[in-house]
Amino acid sequence: MKKTLIIVIQLFFLWLLNELGYFLVKALNLPLPGNVLGMVMLFILLMTGVVSLKWVEEASSFLIKHLAFFFIPIAVGLMNFGPLFLQNGISLLLVIAGSAAIGIYITGAVSQTLAEKKVGANHDRSRNSA
Amino acid sequence: MIVLVTLLSIAITVGAYLLSRVVGKRYPSPFTTPVFFSTAIIIIILLTFGFTFEDYTMAKDIMTFLLGPATVALAVPFYKNREIIKKHSGPAIVGIVFGTISTIIGAVLLAKLLTLSNEILASVSVKSVTVPVAIEISNIIGGDPALTAAFVVATGIIGTMLGPSLMNLTNIDHPLSRGLALGTISHGQGTAQAATEGELQGAIAGVAMGLAAIFTAIAAPIIVPFFI
Repeated sequence: MKKTLIIVIQLFFLWLLNELGYFLVKALNLPLPGNVLGMVMLFILLMTGVVSLKWVEEASSFLIKHLAFFFIPIAVGLMNFGPLFLQNGISLLLVIAGSAAIGIYITGAVSQTLAEKKVGANHDRSRNSA
Repeated sequence: MIVLVTLLSIAITVGAYLLSRVVGKRYPSPFTTPVFFSTAIIIIILLTFGFTFEDYTMAKDIMTFLLGPATVALAVPFYKNREIIKKHSGPAIVGIVFGTISTIIGAVLLAKLLTLSNEILASVSVKSVTVPVAIEISNIIGGDPALTAAFVVATGIIGTMLGPSLMNLTNIDHPLSRGLALGTISHGQGTAQAATEGELQGAIAGVAMGLAAIFTAIAAPIIVPFFI
């Protein structure tokens, strides 16, 4: 019971930050979604110690654990595009899957190669100093 | 009537999600990822009983109410993993920039090759960005908002279905790179998938999603006009 109450209060706080994010994006005409700005604000609040991790931790881990759930109702909206996908289905599937595969491979391979190179350089340095 | 349909829709959605968690754990495969599996079940049920998406809209609005706060919450794993993320910030940013540009070029080239219309080409070029940003960029380059939203959602599903096995196949095993790739290409849905792999993966995916949105807003209006 007490845990549920804590989660509800924490959810309300996260919701406030989200609303503030959307308000600021609109007011300042920023090229960002409001929720992403809300995320940046919460990170800054945590870094500066204005907000303690304990204030948001329970609700955050609950929401992140079930993050996929929130995309299901949105994905159901694809049923409105049945005719388009029936008509151009194969082409669209090829474009979306192909470009996603290219992007995933490039992002992963580039970052992994660079990250490992950096680790390798550090190893060399420690070997030289030894 | 609408109240009854909405309550029923919510029950079906929650049921499908819980079922997908059990099935996905027991039979892990691209087709049992929660969003694909649940969405397929729900669409089949709605169509079978003659319901339209409009009947489902109220339930959708109620259930996605916490999506914004959930995105805000991604700051927490990011904060907890800040040291390791800081250590890899260089490779991460280069990875996101290369990934963003390659997926835009990949999409427009394939669309051109398959002779899809310019409106579809423009709409599909921004498919890797979270919906609210994608719609704005799409408007600038001559895409259609509804079409764009559909492509974004489809990319979220296909990227999360394809991504993990593709990276296993190509030996991309660095947790940072796996989260980065899923967040950059499949936005929020990729982030949800990355979070199931681990806290660091989820954290970096959330950041990648935000940065990819910014880079796409800069790159798409420059790249896409060359192909229209």
